[in-house]
Amino acid sequence: MKLDLDQLRDLIRLLDEANLTEIEVEQDDDRIRVRREPAREVSAAGFTSTNEPARPTRPIPPAGDAPSADDRTYVTSPFVGTFYRAPTPDGEPFVEIGDAITPGQVICIVEAMKLMNEIEAEVAGTVVEVFVDNGKAVEFGDRLFRIEPD
Amino acid sequence: MFEKVLIANRGEIALRVIRSCRERGLRTVAVHSDVDADALHARLADEAVCIGPGDPVRSYLHIPAIIAAAEITGADAVHPGYGFLSENPEFAETCAQCGLRFIGPLPEQMRQWGDKVSARALAKSLGLPTLEGSDLLEDVDDAVSKAEGLGFPLLLKASGGGGGRGMQVLRSAEEVRAAFETARAESRAAFGRGDLYFERYLERPRHIEFQILGDTQGNVHVLGERECSIQRRHQKLLEEAPSVALSDEQRQDMSATIRRAIKEVGYVSAGTLEFLLDDDGELTFLEMNPRIQVEHPVTELVMGVDLVGEQIRVAEGLALDLPERPLTPRGHAIECRINAEDPDTFIPSPGRITELHMAGGTGVRVDSGVYGGGLVPPYYDPLIAKVIVHAPTRQQAIARMRRALSETIIAGIRTNIPLHQRVLQHPAFEQGRISTRFLQELQG
Repeated sequence: MKLDLDQLRDLIRLLDEANLTEIEVEQDDDRIRVRREPAREVSAAGFTSTNEPARPTRPIPPAGDAPSADDRTYVTSPFVGTFYRAPTPDGEPFVEIGDAITPGQVICIVEAMKLMNEIEAEVAGTVVEVFVDNGKAVEFGDRLFRIEPD
Repeated sequence: MFEKVLIANRGEIALRVIRSCRERGLRTVAVHSDVDADALHARLADEAVCIGPGDPVRSYLHIPAIIAAAEITGADAVHPGYGFLSENPEFAETCAQCGLRFIGPLPEQMRQWGDKVSARALAKSLGLPTLEGSDLLEDVDDAVSKAEGLGFPLLLKASGGGGGRGMQVLRSAEEVRAAFETARAESRAAFGRGDLYFERYLERPRHIEFQILGDTQGNVHVLGERECSIQRRHQKLLEEAPSVALSDEQRQDMSATIRRAIKEVGYVSAGTLEFLLDDDGELTFLEMNPRIQVEHPVTELVMGVDLVGEQIRVAEGLALDLPERPLTPRGHAIECRINAEDPDTFIPSPGRITELHMAGGTGVRVDSGVYGGGLVPPYYDPLIAKVIVHAPTRQQAIARMRRALSETIIAGIRTNIPLHQRVLQHPAFEQGRISTRFLQELQG
C-alpha cells in the first residue's frame, strides 16, 4: 500500500476539527486508522508538533517474502523506525513472553515520521523471545520477536 | 554547520558524496535496501540503515523510510545524489518539514525547471536561445496543423519525460497521424500524463551542457561546458570537457548569457543546462537538470572545483567558495561510464564480481561503487563505475583513457569496456568529429 501523506494529513485535520478520537478508512484492501488520546492537544498538521502528536496508525504485515519454515518463527520489522512495545509511554506492552497470539493481533508499533505503524502477528503461536528493547531504533528486516507456532 | 549527512542514494554517487562529507569533517549515514546490505556505500559510511527490500519503490524511493532513517540516526541534512528522489520537490519539502536540510535546489526551482515545455518558455523569456518547437498538443488535428506550421522533421516528445524515453522522429503529416495516439498512451503509462509537444529535430547535433552553481546569497557561477554526444539510446556513455566544438569566445559568451539569465530567477546548488549544437555552430537550450549529474567529474577536473563540496557549503547557507572572475578550463578530461551490460546488445549483466582491478597512475580518477567479491543486484541502474582521466590535451587524454581501460579488470560480469575502446580508437572520435548519432553509426 502506498502511504499517502496528504490523505493522512486530511484525516488528522478531520479528526481534530470534528473532535473525534478515532477514524478508520477502508478502501479496497487498504485500511488506515487515525487515532489520538482523548482530550489532548493535537497539532493541525500532526507532523511538526513535538508534544503529543496525533497517533495515526496503519496496520502493516511484517517484512519478508515467502518465509521458509525457520524464518516463519520470527517477526521482522517491515519498516525502519523506532520500536515500541506498548501503545502509550506508560501503557502495558501489547505482548509479553509466554503470551499466546493470534493472526491479526497487534504485537508492537514501529514509529516513522510520527506515524505509529501497528505490526500485526501473521501466525498463531506463543511469544518466546523479544529481541529489541522498547524505544530502540530498528531497521527494515530486523528481528523483533520469535514465535513458537501452534 | 552540518554534523551528519544522510545520503539517499546508492552506488558510486553515494560514495562520491561520502568522500566530500568526510573531507569536510562530516559524519555520514548510508541507507540501503536489503540486497545492498554489503554494498560498498553501506560499508564505507559511518553508519548504515536498511530501509526496505530490493524494489526501489519500497526502499530508495520510499520517502517515509528515508526520513525515518534520518530520524533514528540524528542526521541533519540529506543529499539525494542523482536519479531516485533527487528531482522530487515533495521529497525536498518533506525533508524541510522534518527539520532536515535538503542538499539541492529549492522545491520551487525544481518545479520551475521540471516540466520541459514550461522550462523552455522560461529559458526563452530569460533571453536564452531555444530550439524551435510547439506548445502542448491538444489532439491529433492540432498536432498535424502545428507540425505543418513548423515544418519537418520534428521530434515528438513527452513533456513529463526523461532519459530519452517516449521520443519519436516524424517526417510527414501521415507519420504524425500514425504516431500521435500511441505516443500519448505511452507517455501516460510511463510518466502519468499524456502531454506531448514538438521540437525541431536536428539530424546530427552535438549534446553540449553547461554546469551552474548558485548560492543563497544570489551568486551564480557557470563552470564551462561538457560534451556528451556519445550516447546510446539517448543515454550518455562518454563525456568530455571542454568541447572541441566551442571556441573560447563562444564559451565565454554563452557562460555570460546563462549567468545573467539564471541570476534573474535565482538558483541554489548545482544544476545543468543542456543544449544542442547544430552544424552551423548555434547552441539552443533543451532542458535544465536541477541536480548533480553523473558526468560532473570532468568539470571538477578541468575547473579544479569540488562540486559536491560546494553543494554542501551552499546548503549550510555559506557563499560559494569560488573566485568572482569566470573560471577557464585547464587541460582536457574524459569520463567513461562503466556499465554492467553486454557491450553489443546492452543487455544488463548483473551478478557477482569475482575479480576487480581498477586503473591508477597519473591523471586517472575512478569513482566506483563496487568491489571484488561484491554483488551487482539486478534492481538498479547498470552504472557500476566511472573512469575519468585528465591530461594537458585532448589527444593525451584519449591515450590516457585507453591505457586506463586496458589495465581495468572486472571479471564475473560483462561490462561495456570493449565498446569504449572501440570509440576511443575510432579516427572520427580522435579528430573530434562526433554527434549524438556517432554510436549508432559505429554499430552499423
